[in-house]
Amino acid sequence: MAKLTKKDAIRTWFTWFMCAQAAYNYERMQGLGFLHAMCPSLGKLYKENEEGRKAAMERHMDFFNTEPFTGASIVGLSLAMEEEISEGKDIDPDAIRSLKTGMMGPLAGIGDSVVQGVVIPLLLIFAINFAMQGVVAAPIIYMLVTLVMTFGYSYFMFMLGYKKGHDAILSMLESGVIDKVINGASMLGCMVLGALVCNYVSLNCGIVIEQANGVYFNLQESLFDAILPGMLPLLLTMGCLWLLKKGKSTVWVLVFIIVLGAAGSALGIFA
Amino acid sequence: MSVFQAILCGLIYYAGNGNILGGYGYYTAYRPLVAGFLTGCILGDPVTGTIIGGTINLMYIGAISAGGALASDMCLAGIVGTAVGITSGLAPEAAMAVAVPIGLLGTLLWFGRLTVDTIFVRGAEKMVAKGQTDKIWIMDFLLPQLLLLVVTVVPCALACYFGAQYIEGFLNMLGSTVLSALITIGGMMPALGVAITLKFIFKGDARVFFLLGFLMTAYLSLGMTAVGFFSVCIVLIYMQVTKNKEVGVNG
Repeated sequence: MAKLTKKDAIRTWFTWFMCAQAAYNYERMQGLGFLHAMCPSLGKLYKENEEGRKAAMERHMDFFNTEPFTGASIVGLSLAMEEEISEGKDIDPDAIRSLKTGMMGPLAGIGDSVVQGVVIPLLLIFAINFAMQGVVAAPIIYMLVTLVMTFGYSYFMFMLGYKKGHDAILSMLESGVIDKVINGASMLGCMVLGALVCNYVSLNCGIVIEQANGVYFNLQESLFDAILPGMLPLLLTMGCLWLLKKGKSTVWVLVFIIVLGAAGSALGIFA
Repeated sequence: MSVFQAILCGLIYYAGNGNILGGYGYYTAYRPLVAGFLTGCILGDPVTGTIIGGTINLMYIGAISAGGALASDMCLAGIVGTAVGITSGLAPEAAMAVAVPIGLLGTLLWFGRLTVDTIFVRGAEKMVAKGQTDKIWIMDFLLPQLLLLVVTVVPCALACYFGAQYIEGFLNMLGSTVLSALITIGGMMPALGVAITLKFIFKGDARVFFLLGFLMTAYLSLGMTAVGFFSVCIVLIYMQVTKNKEVGVNG
């Protein structure tokens, strides 16, 4: 009976990390990537058992789609279960299939909001802030930080699923720690974004009214800047958010901005 | 720009889309911040590349690709925008206004790829029927990535090469009014980038913090780093104060 070594497990994780979306497609999404990651270990576990090998390969080619780093835990979990099945433990092979399908949604939800929704945007905001001042080190440091984070987080999640199993993943999801992190990071993100709007969204009113001979009233300088500097960028951002929340698509809002900017610039309303 | 430089720019586009860097590439080479810096290195001006790349990235801070849907191809926008910006000496905001529509075109490639890659599922099914665990990598990595290499490098290299050659003359022909309109539009675009991010986090108790961050910069003229450190403290204090109460996230 073949046993998997730690090296096999690491190979499975690494293949998943590298190739989860290498053949990303609408029919199975990451299904092929999942199969690819499992294959070397399946080949070892079912070396003498050709029928078992075919069946195992088939059940790992199902439709699969999740956030790849958080979802690495599902790959780890499936690997542990395949190991037990090949050892002759009484596990219904279809249980792996339903477990995979059942877990990919919730883990994608959490993974996307933590990784793409909070962590990466926060890192980007700070890196961009320095990059726009011409600091070449900013993108380099950003690359190093994400290198450690993506590999580290994905490996941690894989091993969590592989070693601790189903319950560990569930209890981590339900402990409320993640909610707290998302909650705190949302506040932090909001605050930094507020500063970002003031610093980097630029929109100035170009209207100048002649009051008397040689006396001009500059709407931007004498009104907007006097009340609240950055008022127009704030209004524009809130307007975009309002449109998005009303269900308009990103492209719709983008075209709206282009038309508004072009018209405003041509008419001299914006300077 | 030489043909060789254009091909190198195309390779950045592959690194962002493809799996030569695995899941890491999507968070690095795919981001205009990094893509712009790398494009700048190729064109011999990393500082300008970093500035333009960072500016373009403002638009895509909170871009989320959930469930295989992609709103805009920020990688192509970052590379072509930076390449054109450096070679034509455009202001970063103008480069951004040129780049973002290019990013919209780039999504076509994404949809095309996810459609065409389906043929590799057919190939893999044949291997599964024979139990060939050692050959799946051909269908999951080798063939789709070779295909992707061609369909990413060629259009991106062409766009950089011809964009750099013709955009400058084209903009000069249109005159300074168009250029100032482009700069105005480029200045407005980050508002959308911020709004996309806010859509996910501008909820409940977090809302007032957005205003606080804005006011700290508007009235106190604090820099981003200062606001960042203050934010950490303020959020921690807030969480300590509300520790024993239920904090509504979805309110």
